[in-house]
Amino acid sequence: MQRIIEHPVLGPLPDVPMVKIIVDGEPMEAREGEMIAAALIATGKKYFRKTIKTHEPRGIYCGIGRCTDCVMTVNGIPNVRTCITPVEDGMVIETQMGYGVWKQEQ
Amino acid sequence: MADDKDFFICRCEEVTLREIEEVIDEGYHTIDDVKRITRAGMGLCQGRSCGKVIARIISQKTGKPLEEVLQTSYRFPVRTEKLKALEEEGPSDAENN
Repeated sequence: MQRIIEHPVLGPLPDVPMVKIIVDGEPMEAREGEMIAAALIATGKKYFRKTIKTHEPRGIYCGIGRCTDCVMTVNGIPNVRTCITPVEDGMVIETQMGYGVWKQEQ
Repeated sequence: MADDKDFFICRCEEVTLREIEEVIDEGYHTIDDVKRITRAGMGLCQGRSCGKVIARIISQKTGKPLEEVLQTSYRFPVRTEKLKALEEEGPSDAENN
């Protein structure tokens, strides 16, 4: 997968600094300020979680933070809506199985 | 999937069109009834994706006008918000919704 470099309406992709994120243990790069889901799609990640009952893979669906289909475990917190959560440097993002597990007190 | 009715209406709780139509056939004709029996609309998104779709299915199957089937009120919170936001002042998730 790749990003839209030249958008017909929005124009060329602006230059922004890159940040490092860790996706399922692998270091990856993301554009500062973009949403986690956008960064993952750009890296070619096919699914963000697997459902609890049928174990089907799910990814981005509504893209505006309503449907909760794109939730992942971010920095140890499960069910984070990745389509409306911006990436941060050093963020640890994990594919979520079912309802996920809390790995951090918040 | 077996046929065209085995797809998910409620994506969070994985409830298919077939299951929803079955409970409507049993005589449950409101969104609340369907929710209580199938769990459709009780998942993470709390019916934001499927609520209106279920209303339309009920309306089509029972012949009731859609306005009659649609929920007239929504419970707090209307938008997804962390519980923490209720006890603390500060940045809110609401603007992201």
